[in-house]
Amino acid sequence: MKLSAIVIAGLLLAPAAGASAQGINDAQIASIVVTANQVDIDAGKLAQTQSSNGEVKKFANLMVTDHTGVNKSATALVTKLKVTPEDNATSQSLKSGGDTNLKTLKALNGAAFDKAYVDHEVAYHQAVIDAVDKTLIPNAKNAELKALLVKVRPAFVAHLEHAKHLQASLGGK
Amino acid sequence: MVLALLSCSMGQAAATSKPATHTVTIEGMEFKASDLTVKAGDSIVWVNKDMFPHTVTSKADAFDSHQIEPGKSWTFRAAAKGEFPYMCSLHPTMQGTLRVK
Repeated sequence: MKLSAIVIAGLLLAPAAGASAQGINDAQIASIVVTANQVDIDAGKLAQTQSSNGEVKKFANLMVTDHTGVNKSATALVTKLKVTPEDNATSQSLKSGGDTNLKTLKALNGAAFDKAYVDHEVAYHQAVIDAVDKTLIPNAKNAELKALLVKVRPAFVAHLEHAKHLQASLGGK
Repeated sequence: MVLALLSCSMGQAAATSKPATHTVTIEGMEFKASDLTVKAGDSIVWVNKDMFPHTVTSKADAFDSHQIEPGKSWTFRAAAKGEFPYMCSLHPTMQGTLRVK
């Protein structure tokens, strides 16, 4: 778990930190936001079908619903602002990290699947919150984009708490 | 003069007994105000300004909005007096209390 947290944090933060010498722009931030949500939606959809644990499924349902809602708002905002999300090192890392996670999860089932999915959700939400705080909010130029990031942060924190709770209950079995 | 006083006091009585409508905003994973006191007969409107659904669910089964979609609201008329702690059943960290006097 610890290792995967470090890997995810590295994926999320290293390219962004590199880019922040010039500062990442709003189009790149938009791409990171949309990709970060989509990666979690995809993992949640897999858990909805592959988990047989009621609490894990409930959490997966929430992830799909909440992150879909965030992406709907984010997409509506960038459309309104006439910003085209711009692919960048961070969004690419997120996408490939998400693909690797899906590949790992697809090979698992039962309790091993639940543990791997939830462990990854804990690490992933922590890494995304760090990115929101250290990279996305400080670099966002447009006030509405910044406001969206600020507004969405408490949801990610609540998801993290929920995932940690789930992680503790799974570990206790 | 007496009549004027009478109608004035009647007007006041009517004003105080008229049910009021209170609004609670759901935004940023919080109920604002999270602690609300109303009079029996008043209505409370919970407006979901977040990007995803929430619920207003009494912990003692006194009321349950079920899912309130983003941009939608749910109205509850508080008939019974009492203190009603509630939460979002989807996001249990979101807590509130409705006090009906």
